[in-house]
Amino acid sequence: ETWRYAFEEALDEVQGVFAQQFKEHVEANTDHEVQLFPFGTLGESDDIMEQTQSGILQFVNQSPGFTGALIPEAQVFFVPYLLPQEGEALNKFFRESVAINEMFPELYAQHGLELLTMYPEGEVVMTTKNPVTSPADLNEQNIRVMTNPLLVESYRAFGAVPTPLPWGEVYGGLQTNMIQGQENPMFFVESTKMYEVTDHITFTGHNNFTTALMANADFFAGLSEEDQQVVRDAVDVAFDYILEYQNGLTERALETIKEAKPSITVTVLTEEQRAPFMAASADVEAEFLRMTGDSGQRILDQMKADLAAASE
Amino acid sequence: MDDDTALASYRSDLPGPLGWIDTGIARLEAFLLAAGVLLMAANTIANVVGRYGFGMSIQSTEEVNRILIILITFAGISYAARHGRHIRMSAIFDMLPGPGRKALMITIALVTAGFMFVLAWYSWGYLATTFSRGRILPSLQIPLWWTLVWVPAGFFMTGLQYTLTAIKNLLEKDIYLSTNVLEGYSDDSDQEV
Amino acid sequence: MALTIFAVMVVLLLLGFPMMIPLIAAAGLGMFMVFGSFGQTETLVAQMLAGIRPASLIAVPMFIFAADIMTRGQSAGRLIDLVMAFIRHKKGGLAISTVTACTMFGAVSGSTQATVVAVGTPLRPRMLKAGYKDSFTLALIVNSSDIAFLIPPSIGMIIYGVVSNTSIAELFIAGIGPGLLIMVMFSIYCWIYAVRNNVPAEEPATWGERVTSFQKALWPLGFPAIIIGGIYGGIFSPTEAAAVCVLYALILEMVVFRTVNLRGLIATARSTGLITAVVFILVAAGAGFSWIISFAQVPQAVLGSIGIDQMGPYGVLAVISIAFFVGCMFVDPIVVILVLVPIFAPVVQSVGLDPVHVGAIIVLQVAIGSATPPFGCDIFTAIAVFKRPYIEVIRGTPPFVIMLLSVAVLLIFFPQIALFLRDLAFAK
Ligand code: NA
Ligand code: NA
Repeated sequence: ETWRYAFEEALDEVQGVFAQQFKEHVEANTDHEVQLFPFGTLGESDDIMEQTQSGILQFVNQSPGFTGALIPEAQVFFVPYLLPQEGEALNKFFRESVAINEMFPELYAQHGLELLTMYPEGEVVMTTKNPVTSPADLNEQNIRVMTNPLLVESYRAFGAVPTPLPWGEVYGGLQTNMIQGQENPMFFVESTKMYEVTDHITFTGHNNFTTALMANADFFAGLSEEDQQVVRDAVDVAFDYILEYQNGLTERALETIKEAKPSITVTVLTEEQRAPFMAASADVEAEFLRMTGDSGQRILDQMKADLAAASE
Repeated sequence: MDDDTALASYRSDLPGPLGWIDTGIARLEAFLLAAGVLLMAANTIANVVGRYGFGMSIQSTEEVNRILIILITFAGISYAARHGRHIRMSAIFDMLPGPGRKALMITIALVTAGFMFVLAWYSWGYLATTFSRGRILPSLQIPLWWTLVWVPAGFFMTGLQYTLTAIKNLLEKDIYLSTNVLEGYSDDSDQEV
Repeated sequence: MALTIFAVMVVLLLLGFPMMIPLIAAAGLGMFMVFGSFGQTETLVAQMLAGIRPASLIAVPMFIFAADIMTRGQSAGRLIDLVMAFIRHKKGGLAISTVTACTMFGAVSGSTQATVVAVGTPLRPRMLKAGYKDSFTLALIVNSSDIAFLIPPSIGMIIYGVVSNTSIAELFIAGIGPGLLIMVMFSIYCWIYAVRNNVPAEEPATWGERVTSFQKALWPLGFPAIIIGGIYGGIFSPTEAAAVCVLYALILEMVVFRTVNLRGLIATARSTGLITAVVFILVAAGAGFSWIISFAQVPQAVLGSIGIDQMGPYGVLAVISIAFFVGCMFVDPIVVILVLVPIFAPVVQSVGLDPVHVGAIIVLQVAIGSATPPFGCDIFTAIAVFKRPYIEVIRGTPPFVIMLLSVAVLLIFFPQIALFLRDLAFAK
């Protein structure tokens, strides 16, 4: 049988690396073939999600923030300063979280999706034309963000002018100074050459980009027990691989960038410098709760409990 | 401009009450087209002015435009079918003798109508699926299916227009591109792209 | 499989079906061949709708709307008067004025057809009266109006940018170089034609006339200033520039010139909506088609079978050029872009070509193909507008097509023709 698997990035980016691990393991242990469809080949994020829901695609990798149109609670991953920075605590959280391993699967199941795993893609950094150490530095700056209400709300809270721009226009927009910054995980800043058109990289620590692998629920339920086990094993293998791969990925990307552009400055905000950003984010959490109600409150509380447990 | 008068003076030639309904629908389509374009312009301009004048971009601009573009497209395809405006490569068609042209025109109209009805059916299905999935527009927080109601309606009305065109060609001596437009009648701003 | 799908599409196109049908039929057939049923038609509909979702597409109706408002008003006439005042007394001046006016109007309009109407209609009678042959005049108008497709704004560039995920801002800037090069070549040819056929020159304009015509043309010249200056200066994205152009056109024609009233505005909006729908249903159908094609991994199969991987960048560009040129000799340019761009996208990426360079080449080929007999759609526009027989419209075409093709070859070997302005504007 041919299993089709779509994801939101290129083959050599994090989701693509995960997908290739998954494909390798499945093909080595079953007679099934896994066809991979990188970003853009079958449409955008929403499209591959719909195609998975209708069973044309068997697997889809979509970041929960984008699943917000379907499962508003999933946007919790865009609440700033919720997740810890990269490191063992973060990995432990993804392995053991009750919210991720028990509550979200139920929410996804209501939409015909079998949530197989969630995994981190790295800390989101801002790359900007001007140095950023406080919200005041973002004042009146046009920062390109993805069109997600919580992200937009975050940057508004930080004092910036969140500017939605199609991805194709971001590079040129930075060159011509139409926008003064953007945010993305480090590896993406490197692979898309965003550093060429910005001068400052800032680790604000406001978010770790999270993504999720799902299968069509009917497809998954219809698999033999052995096949289900192979899928789960493949996910575990890829998950472990990607955490290992992630280890130092941000640093490697940073090194490549520094080599290509020695003049770039890299700033990791100190605790004091982060404080005003954190204070500003309280509004965003409120906005999340307004959008998701009691169910969102439960998820948020559980996430916080899980995080406390993971950082012990 | 002749174009305005051609579009404005449109009257359905269906008999009696059917004709009134059809003319009414044509007026509604025309209204939606004009309103859609004007709203889209206002919405996009407001966003630019907001960003430069007041340092804030309107979050929902993109979603509003998405709604409008579906509205314009699907109100428009039926309107374009009424006025024989869909782009086609008619060079070989034009070289055929009269009876051959007529037969081909009837075939084209019927096949096109068939495709439109099939798409109307499946887009109705898609509308229902979207409804059941409960997807919402993230900024406006309104259900996505609301934005899609024009899709099956537009396909259906277009199918109807092509069906009527086939019937008209069967009944009348001349060859009709659409119910109101004779073939060969060339309007200056025809097929402007 | 690919062959069957393309065969069905071409037959339906040639029979004269509305162009959305061949695309939809081909997509449906492809779907049936992949899934063995029509059970996935809902997904096809979903992908059609996804095709008209990108925010950048809003630029299409906005540029059409702005140009429509200005065409309804006085802008085209003022631009023509400006050009004539400075050029008409030169040898071949009237013909060169036509070329130049097409280029200038191209900076207002995103389509060739609109340019044929706006510039060709007033200038053709004058050229005939001055002693130019009609076959030359018609070919000149048809081919010069293609410059409008290269000079920003360009609907072809917008659609290419959306389908290939390339920056529309950069594409716009990249079209200027080739557009101006064509203008220069055509002008030289006009001069040679006038000398050889001994066409007398016009009376020179007085300096007073020139100043007046310049003052009057200042307003419409704000249009290219908004687009090029706005994007170059980092003020607007292309979509925003389009919206500002609408605002500018409204102020100009409704407030300053008072040529368009509220009724006219509504009528213009309606006709813009109509044109938009006709284009966007093709974009939607094209998106459905390219979705199933990429689902079935057809591009890999087709391009693999012609061994494109071994061709290197020049080979790839040659194949792309020929494919678009031939395609546009038969089919509407937008349909050709929608069908072919997704097929070539993977190889363009793997060979490491600059998608902006490729875009400039494609849009140029599209423009050439659509002015080339037998079925290039510009020819039929000219037949419809000028009510002249087919043979008369195409008789003068060959020299122009040869000049355009030589620009195309130059563009392949000297990417800087397109890219130097881009690199300058975006400080690469
Ligand atoms: Na143009
Ligand atoms: Na053309």
